[in-house]
Amino acid sequence: MKFGIFYELSVPRPWDQEAERKVYMNALEQVRLADELGFDQVWAVEHHFLEEYSHCSAPELFLTACAMQTKNIHVGHGIVICVPEFNHPIRIAERAAVLDILSGGRLEFGTGRSATWTELGGFRANPDETKKSWDEFVHCIPKMWMQERFSYEGRYFSMPSRAVLPKPYQKPHPPMWVAVTSPGTELDAGDRGIGSLGVTFTSFAEQEAKVKEYRRRIQNCNPVGGFVNNQVNTVNFLYCHEESETGTKIGMRMIQYFNYLAAQLDMAKEAVPTKSYPSAGLLPSLRRQASSPGEQAKAPEGIAVGNPAHLINELRKWEACGVDRVNFLLNAAENIPQEQVLNSLRLFAKEVMPAFADSRARAAAGGSR
Amino acid sequence: MPIFGKQDVQTAATRAPLMSGFDTDVWELKNAEILHLAFEVVEAPAEWLVPPAFHPSIPPYAALSVARFPASPVGPFMLAQVRLVVRAGIRPRGYLLGAYTDSEKAASELRARWGFTVGVGTLTLQSRHDRVIGTVARGGQTILNMELENPEQVSGSDVTYLDSLHLARVVENGKETSLIVQIDPEYVFHSAQRGKPHLISLQSDAWGADGKLQCTNPMHATFCRCDTDLPKLRFAMDPLVPVTQGSRRLAA
Repeated sequence: MKFGIFYELSVPRPWDQEAERKVYMNALEQVRLADELGFDQVWAVEHHFLEEYSHCSAPELFLTACAMQTKNIHVGHGIVICVPEFNHPIRIAERAAVLDILSGGRLEFGTGRSATWTELGGFRANPDETKKSWDEFVHCIPKMWMQERFSYEGRYFSMPSRAVLPKPYQKPHPPMWVAVTSPGTELDAGDRGIGSLGVTFTSFAEQEAKVKEYRRRIQNCNPVGGFVNNQVNTVNFLYCHEESETGTKIGMRMIQYFNYLAAQLDMAKEAVPTKSYPSAGLLPSLRRQASSPGEQAKAPEGIAVGNPAHLINELRKWEACGVDRVNFLLNAAENIPQEQVLNSLRLFAKEVMPAFADSRARAAAGGSR
Repeated sequence: MPIFGKQDVQTAATRAPLMSGFDTDVWELKNAEILHLAFEVVEAPAEWLVPPAFHPSIPPYAALSVARFPASPVGPFMLAQVRLVVRAGIRPRGYLLGAYTDSEKAASELRARWGFTVGVGTLTLQSRHDRVIGTVARGGQTILNMELENPEQVSGSDVTYLDSLHLARVVENGKETSLIVQIDPEYVFHSAQRGKPHLISLQSDAWGADGKLQCTNPMHATFCRCDTDLPKLRFAMDPLVPVTQGSRRLAA
């Protein structure tokens, strides 16, 4: 089991001149510490227009800053939106390759399609088409990286023969992932030989079933890239404190605030009658458990808030489900003071990580290829 | 914290109905036909249509509907509604701005039992091969004219109808107060279509929006045949207090 961190970059109102800068600078400080402490990946979302919930619209810039300030931690696009109204696939391939070069081959390349009407409507993208455009992009982008020149006539874009430059530092290309929000996307990941980047929270039983089916499907996959990435990541919250009650209380306050902000957005399923978005997206199951930002509640099953012993216990269960890595959200709208976030990371690295040292070593030896 | 609504509830309540109480029978409404369109609206003026208990959604949008109910305890009636979608805490809800029915009898029952701010007008709902058309007129003047163009079949499970919130007045402990009741019907779909939404005209003043409801970006149009109901009231809310603090349960 490995551990990473995951950023939405939530910015609370009022939005004065320093508000967004403070969130970005705090995140960079956390990333530097996480790198020192042995967290192995940092992921950043691509979201647009999601007021307060996420001000992370240019993750490649944030991740470049992360890469420039760290030594070992991998930088992950979590995810690039593969919808033509948002991003042209050539530009995606180019930007990702530059990030891989600048980071010295530390890029993890996550793909996805957006789950909110707030974003899809903002770019006037058709929700019916996003899964199909994602599929086309994930088939083409690795070819742009692996072939000296690439040409294509497709449904969502076409191009004559050109060299898409630069090429990524990692050969044949960085590990590819897809964000798994809607039911069944983990099967799409398995069929295409790409990693499953869980961005919604599920029960242990549901996760175990998903991982099992993913592992089965990926054995007979038709890889879109030059190699198979057969890893399963999931997302969680992290607040680690010596005292169980304090850890739970502060952690739950963060989670409820995060979910409260997410609930204000117009989900694609709510806004458009389409089979393309069968679930609500953006952590719907967690949202069901949180009803107000001020409410005190017990930590739900599997959530990593509390004292180190509790976290070890919960993370062992994720490990037993077959999850390779847990990526943690550390804060929401600066709800937790920065020093407490850093202390939580330090305590996690000191007390929790060693309990998974063996599995981390095994995972490192196995790699992602 | 997300933006809260800025509606002057005291003024809005002057046109809200006086309910007879919270204990109502369920009305079963079989074989209903519902035309439903959604449009984003201009944000800043719309904030003045949302009570301080709620947040405007991001982005805010209006839900417009014209429905035909061929059978009810007061006979057949039609009902048109203009709602603004809000967030009651974490829940998406449609806050009723105004409604019209073609039945005087239905109007008085809807006001007294479920707190509909509803007037009487002339409503039409026509399903043609290439479009579904809904209109509402009051005093001979059209106040809503909307269409679903190029219908295509979808599954009822693809359609999301949001529960409603109605600002109403009620006498409690001998004192008249304003509150918001939640209306959360059930739906069993027989058929569902979607298509391109086309808003030909909407006179927002006629729906209690006082020029503050300006529809912009079209979102969806659906036309469904279903069994539905007007249920027992389950929740009431203080319009001035964040819903997470100002809600109470009315019935099991």
